[in-house]
Amino acid sequence: MGSGELRYEIAQNAYIKLVLHALKHKAAAVNGVLLGRHSDRGEAVEVLDAVPLFHSHLGLLPNLEISLLLIEEYYGSKGMSIVGYFHANERYDDTELGGVARNIGDHIFRYFPQAALLLLDNKKLEALSNGKDRSPVMQLYTRDSSKNWKLVSSDGSNRLITKEPSANVVLLDYISSGKWHDVFDFDDHLDDITKDWLNPDLFK
Amino acid sequence: MVTKSEEDQLNRLESQVDNGGGGEWEYLCLVRKLKVRRPDKVLKHGLAILNDFKKRSALGTEDWTLCEQVAIAAMDCQCLDVAKDCIKVLRKRFPDSKRVGRLEGMLLEAKGLWAEAEKAYSSFLEDNPFDQVIHKRRVAVAKAQGNISTAIECLNKYLDTFMADNDAWRELAEIYVSLQMYKQAAFCYEELILSQPTNPLYHIAYADVLYTNGGIENLQAAKKYYASAINLTGGKNQRALFGVCLCTSAIGQLSKGRNKDDKESPELQALAVAALEKDYKQGAPDKLPLLTSTLKSLRVSS
Repeated sequence: MGSGELRYEIAQNAYIKLVLHALKHKAAAVNGVLLGRHSDRGEAVEVLDAVPLFHSHLGLLPNLEISLLLIEEYYGSKGMSIVGYFHANERYDDTELGGVARNIGDHIFRYFPQAALLLLDNKKLEALSNGKDRSPVMQLYTRDSSKNWKLVSSDGSNRLITKEPSANVVLLDYISSGKWHDVFDFDDHLDDITKDWLNPDLFK
Repeated sequence: MVTKSEEDQLNRLESQVDNGGGGEWEYLCLVRKLKVRRPDKVLKHGLAILNDFKKRSALGTEDWTLCEQVAIAAMDCQCLDVAKDCIKVLRKRFPDSKRVGRLEGMLLEAKGLWAEAEKAYSSFLEDNPFDQVIHKRRVAVAKAQGNISTAIECLNKYLDTFMADNDAWRELAEIYVSLQMYKQAAFCYEELILSQPTNPLYHIAYADVLYTNGGIENLQAAKKYYASAINLTGGKNQRALFGVCLCTSAIGQLSKGRNKDDKESPELQALAVAALEKDYKQGAPDKLPLLTSTLKSLRVSS
């Protein structure tokens, strides 16, 4: 089965963690990896967790390599693998999937051919407080047969959904309480190893 | 660039102020000194002082500096009415000031009126072609509109004249990295290292760029710069320690099958691994087994 009809279901905690990370570093580009597995019947990819990676120098390899090694080792023992990548651009009106995101996506694709690239949709995020939309504030890209990352249209296709339908409500709540302060990424960890990139207590 | 101890001091002050323990002016002065970007806090606490007659008078003439700081923070938070008010007050007090003129230009930027901002800045530069801040605002205008190539061109031209401006070199390096133009980024970091040879952060950034660019010569050079960063930081910087491990592994991979005499000595990597394990045992003990097995797999592949 190609990625043509595959659905991507992202767990609420993973989704919220990524958006909060982007909100913590409003003036920078940020990225993260998606962890998960195929669903039992193979009709969807379940994104069960996410790790926020960096908020500076996204285009440099050493920190990326170390983070991916540690992340793969940790989640591998829990039966999950890296199933995708999240990216938020530096500027509000930049809706393009840049070279860095595509290259990292290509690398992840080599190990997981149904990998998803998620790009933060700033306009949707801003409109979130209107309260009506249940769809994730992200754009979904998958690899097509000509090896390009193509935007999956969100018109009625529902190929990217949050597992819990009220995820956006919870997200809005966390945003208003400034929860993003508590999110730690790999950059934070490398600067101070006592900061945990697993964010185990974030949603307690 | 801020050192860890400076950042810790700032964060301590910030949480003290947030929890009502006083020290707002001290905090705002430190933010100004370190040139960090914390617009929501500056706006909140700065505005509180400005709106309190007693606290404001206690500042004497420094309240104009605070007014400027709050104006900029307000623009960063898109509270344009607050910014407009601050700038109006400053303009009344300093009617011929170029410094206030700069703020007015920034307000145009904040409103997204790029052409007007550009016009304002160009006319400033006609009067004073050596105004560094205005030159850099023009780069910001280009960058904000997504004209990255224009931004790069402007920055390069600026650095031709003002080649000692380290902030500008850093900004240019970061733009190049975001565009994956690693050779050009390396050149910027070389300038920074020449200018401040004892700043370990530049050594590490340079090594990161060399590693990313790849090839055995770059990897060997990267390893040297990670090592010098370890030297400069007394072995306390984890990025440099990880860097050494990655370089040794990558060099080993590339030189497989080559002459045994070219093989690097493994001592540096062993020392780096030992240092990392010691740090994790103390700071993040639950991650130590994960670290150990990951580093082991790095060593096996080299």
